[in-house]
Amino acid sequence: MAEPSEWTGTIGRVVLGATRGEGGTRSVQYCIGGSRDLPFLPDEVPCGKRPLIAFEICDDPALWPPVVREQVGDLAGDPAAWAREAEKAYGADLVRLHLTSTHRRQVADLEGVKRTVESVLAATTLPLIIEGSGDPAIDSDVFQRCGEAGAGERLLLGTAEADRYRSIAAAALAYGHAVIAQSPIDINLAKQLNILLREIGVPADRIVIDPYTGALGYGFEYSYSVMERIRFAALKGDADLAMPVLSAAPDSLTVREVRDAAPAERQERALSWEFHAAFPAAVAGADIVCVRHPLSVKRVRDACSALSAGLKGTPAQGGG
Amino acid sequence: MPSVTFLPAYRKIAVDPGTTILAAAQKAGIQMNVVCGGQGKCGKCVVYLKSGLADFDREKYGKYFTPEERENGACLACQTMVEGDVQVLIPESTLIQEQKILVESLGIATDLHPSVWKYALDLQPPTLEDPSPDLTRLLWGIQKKGGPVAEKIYAPLEVLRSIPAVLRDSGWKVTATVALVPGGYRLINVEKGDTAAFLYGAAVDLGTTTVVVYLRSLVDGKVLAVTSNYNRQISCGEDILSRVNYARKGGLDRLQQLAAESINTALTAAANTAGIDREEIYEVVISGNTVMTHILMGIDPAYMIEEPYVPVVRRYLTASAHRLGIGVNANAGLFVFPAVSDFIGGDVVADILAAGMAEREEVSLLIDIGTNFEVVLGNREWMFSCAGAAGPALEGGEVLFGMRANPGAIEKISLDLETLDPAYETINRVKPRGICGSGLIDLIADLLRACVIDRTGRINTSIRSPRIRQGAHFPEFVVAWAKETAIGKDIVITENDVKSLIMSKASILAACFTLMGAAGIRRDEITSIFFSGAFGNYLNKEHAIIIGLIPEVPITRIRNIGNGAVEGANIALMDRKKRRIVDDIARKIAYIELNAEASFMDEYTRATFLPHTDLSLFPDVERLLDACRIRRG
Amino acid sequence: MALKALDIYKILPKKNCKECGFPTCLTFAMKLASGKADAGTCPYLDEATRQLLKGATQPPIRRVKIGVGERSFAVGEEIVLFRHDKSFVHPPGILFQVSDRETAEEIRGVASRVKDEVFPRIGELLRVNGIAIRNDSGSAEAFGKAVRVVEETAEFPEVLIAGSPTSMEAALAECGNYRPLIHAATAENLGAMCTLAKRYGAPLAVRARGIDALRDLAGKCAAAGVPDLVLDPAPETLGEFLQTSTLIRRRALARSAPELGYPVYLDATVPGREQATLSLGILKYAGVMVTTPGSPASLLATLTLRQNIYTDPQKPIQMTPGIYRVGNPARGDPLLLTVNFSLTYFTLLGYLEASRISCFLLLVDTEGFSVLTAVASGKLNETMIRDSLQRFSVEAETGHRTLVLPGYAAPLSGRVEEATGWKVLVGPRDAAEVPEFLEQSWKKTSPG
Repeated sequence: MAEPSEWTGTIGRVVLGATRGEGGTRSVQYCIGGSRDLPFLPDEVPCGKRPLIAFEICDDPALWPPVVREQVGDLAGDPAAWAREAEKAYGADLVRLHLTSTHRRQVADLEGVKRTVESVLAATTLPLIIEGSGDPAIDSDVFQRCGEAGAGERLLLGTAEADRYRSIAAAALAYGHAVIAQSPIDINLAKQLNILLREIGVPADRIVIDPYTGALGYGFEYSYSVMERIRFAALKGDADLAMPVLSAAPDSLTVREVRDAAPAERQERALSWEFHAAFPAAVAGADIVCVRHPLSVKRVRDACSALSAGLKGTPAQGGG
Repeated sequence: MPSVTFLPAYRKIAVDPGTTILAAAQKAGIQMNVVCGGQGKCGKCVVYLKSGLADFDREKYGKYFTPEERENGACLACQTMVEGDVQVLIPESTLIQEQKILVESLGIATDLHPSVWKYALDLQPPTLEDPSPDLTRLLWGIQKKGGPVAEKIYAPLEVLRSIPAVLRDSGWKVTATVALVPGGYRLINVEKGDTAAFLYGAAVDLGTTTVVVYLRSLVDGKVLAVTSNYNRQISCGEDILSRVNYARKGGLDRLQQLAAESINTALTAAANTAGIDREEIYEVVISGNTVMTHILMGIDPAYMIEEPYVPVVRRYLTASAHRLGIGVNANAGLFVFPAVSDFIGGDVVADILAAGMAEREEVSLLIDIGTNFEVVLGNREWMFSCAGAAGPALEGGEVLFGMRANPGAIEKISLDLETLDPAYETINRVKPRGICGSGLIDLIADLLRACVIDRTGRINTSIRSPRIRQGAHFPEFVVAWAKETAIGKDIVITENDVKSLIMSKASILAACFTLMGAAGIRRDEITSIFFSGAFGNYLNKEHAIIIGLIPEVPITRIRNIGNGAVEGANIALMDRKKRRIVDDIARKIAYIELNAEASFMDEYTRATFLPHTDLSLFPDVERLLDACRIRRG
Repeated sequence: MALKALDIYKILPKKNCKECGFPTCLTFAMKLASGKADAGTCPYLDEATRQLLKGATQPPIRRVKIGVGERSFAVGEEIVLFRHDKSFVHPPGILFQVSDRETAEEIRGVASRVKDEVFPRIGELLRVNGIAIRNDSGSAEAFGKAVRVVEETAEFPEVLIAGSPTSMEAALAECGNYRPLIHAATAENLGAMCTLAKRYGAPLAVRARGIDALRDLAGKCAAAGVPDLVLDPAPETLGEFLQTSTLIRRRALARSAPELGYPVYLDATVPGREQATLSLGILKYAGVMVTTPGSPASLLATLTLRQNIYTDPQKPIQMTPGIYRVGNPARGDPLLLTVNFSLTYFTLLGYLEASRISCFLLLVDTEGFSVLTAVASGKLNETMIRDSLQRFSVEAETGHRTLVLPGYAAPLSGRVEEATGWKVLVGPRDAAEVPEFLEQSWKKTSPG
């Protein structure tokens, strides 16, 4: 049994968002990582006080969960306005923009992609996560343009995978961003990807691990255990896993339990389903948890705050 | 009845209409390459229909042929039904070729304690004063010559029947043969004159592909001949599963016959080389994998390869060689190595005996690699074993230009890490036709060192080199340009090939680590790694460590025991006392079912990286790779 | 702590007698090390060795059973801090709380919900475990009456929450013989509560804030002769619970504090925090949780999380083999074969349903292995496919003899065709591509 005194590793820190002083235009800069113990234990002392809540938006809502589209109405067609709402009304710490328009079969409008990123940057002062292309053929162009549009803003760019990581790494290195390294629910594959990124020159303080999170009832427990194992291995001294973790369970709002729920119950089902992947992920050690339902932001944030209340540690600037 | 004429040999055979060309070839005694056992799935049994009528679905199987092949009338022998007289050309690549078959062995010094002896006797004829019976006279003679005590020798009826005449015809000068069998000493033969010098034994490795025979004198232990040939069961399917399926469909007797015939062919060749009579062979020791020994004994192997994988017996078997159709002395005994589980067969037990790991205090690791692999970890107190499928990649299968260790196979390669130009050697020094397992391992080790591939095996296509290019489906690296080769095509290794090889090597490495985990043994506690089998012999050990095929240990701790199966059989032939160790191994070895072992999948994923996800387990490789990266910048 | 197989092997008799049921002593040692065998089955061990092995392989946290009969549940016996180290053993009991200030009607309503509300999910029935009655009134009579109302509704596990021994005695008079959990012994009422627990043979919760106070109290109760204890660390915040329960689990597993070797209690009734508290309790070592009756939607999520977290990570959840209908399949619609690993099934189902394709799914019994592992290990083979086609009379349902195999089972396709006589199509490896595959390939080749 590893007692806290036996830990030899510390989770590395990653800085997201650049304020004017740092060459960007964000109103806040976050530090994530830094933990020296299991999540929420007294000796943990992370650099942020509680996990950050990222609200996910997209630039093409065709495949976005209906339960969200019903809730946000016209906002879904306007990423900039939606991002502003996420900051002002929902209380998100971060906005995660999915460039879903690039998933369409037709060649994506690359200049349009760049304009979208710029408009979202202008609409919110929160640090941003940008999810690029879904197609390896246009990866390089999309990441190049996203990287460029957000130059100096210390974005978090997604998503590097074991068989496509070079172009996103190149964009991140060229424009000073961090990357999300996603692997399919396996601690070893997560570690391998981090090594691949390290070996092509991406420093550890620019990597955030996304172990891929299954929805509640659809493999969530695998993801939960992988997150626990990553934190454990990192504290035991494995530097290739000592990065902050991001958790998103993208299927939470489209599972059968939500789809088939009676209309009166659907929203509560959706919120419960999203909560039960997001909050446990935080308990397992995720530094950023992503949600898609506007009402989830407060729910998850309050629960996380209740966990970290009374803990030592420096609060994340503006993280509250 | 239609006839089939096989070219270029002009061998002709009559068959029923509807017979496949493959069946006709088997009937004609021609051995073809059939990996899938004749299901039309491997595309290896390519033949050309030169004339005549035959039914073949060109559309369905067209994917196996090049346009040229199609134009020349290529068919798959196993899917072509004869309808009238036909002429069929069998290209060389379809015939089973002579491979490098491993006959060298470690040559451990073994004392001679055979289980069969000959005694040349000069007996006093009976008189009225000394009327003791013939048998008593004979047995006393044996005892006086230093043989077993007379009362302890059992004489079976068939020998008794021969005694009176032989004694008298020979003028009471005879040679008696006594064997130690499970029930005690047994008089197995009495013959005229002094034949004591003609006492031989054979050690046999009955492999899935090849049979190897050592013929030795049991008087002085000398090796008189070593021969090998293909296991003739190959015509019923190349791999073990195809054989089991064949047995399941009523073919057990046929397979048993073919096994015995294969051994007989090798025995005859050995006897001819040594200039002896097969009748003088009194003892045969056989090691083979579980399915092979089951088939040889005529026991249905089907139950053993299904859950719960229980062997019929777990100790050594003895039988009369004649009952199994082995052409040696009618009274010769047969000792068959025991099988422990479906995968840990007598060949592995023989490996362990040959490596001496069951007699040693220090811990050693034994690895036998073929299409399947077996791994054993232990010492004289305990032993863990496991087995799995390595996939055919390490033997050159499922790799675009992979091939077995046949002439023309690139067996050694090194890359110039700057220019990426390769220097290679082929088997028999002919122009290259493909790459065999040892060459593939060299290649991956150097591609990694040259940073052409990343640690998942992905080719970095941003490197500017004519050798790195996008192939039809995957990025690829050109090993030999068309003009250098015997096949008129560029020989390449694709990214997909590299990934298949990584998956194969990962199973083996993961198996090693799973056993080490189960036993709580660290890699520095392993004093020896033994490679058994052909693969280990031609392998560059340093490269095997660089790619993470085996755990990193100092190179000096790695040894080849060569053909451990036949080596173990030799030891058991020469020294009957070692047979106790054989049973002891079979009794104490614990088998770990990798599929049921939760940690195996984890170890496997960790091992699907070059050399391994955790480089701290490969400290020397880590230093080497760091140096390479620094040099390449 | 856990011994390695070789350490155990060294103290075994090494006779390889097989009397334990395993072929060799080494195999037996491996099974002992992984907790899959009992040292008692070896007839040649001396008593000291047997005790040593039992000690090393027996759970350090006491098993405590609450309630009697069909709905009773046991907690404790946990052996790990992280579920991936082996598995969590007993899912925590979740009980709805009622107050003795509520009307009989209100109490009966909650009790009926506990009795009847069931969510079937992948072969299991998810439900709340019981009911907790809280002595808010302070009156022994009201408390006893509330318990009686519950007792009239049904038989299920109860937690009796009262600080006053008098109230507790009144409640126990109603249900004391049914192993309710007495909540709670505190520094003030320790003696009286222990007496009641002993009289009824009921489990007893001890409540004290801070691990040292808790340890002291539990030690006293054990010394007083109450064997079945539950620890309530009385946390003020979620964070405090996480820290205390982690410490309790750690100390218990290390066997450094036997007084902490009991299941943990968690009050999840704080308004607005119910979901978070229940989640945290499931994840972080609670054994018994009491909560206010919430919405069925949030309850289902909580119970699903509990099911997820308490599955054996080494043993995948299995579906019952058979024919499953997706949408409204008619004769002639596609038939897809897949394995009975629940994650595979649900993933495939998700994509099929999203694409609104009607088809039949034939789930064959691979003991919960995924396609890839089932093919590799031979659990998925042509014989069992043939047998499944017959056993479930598949042709009668589909009206055709064409079967789509998963992409990873492609190597089997020839043998399956041969063994079954059915036409076999090989589908994609990735479930996401199945709908498109059916659109393209099935239409082209479909029978009729």
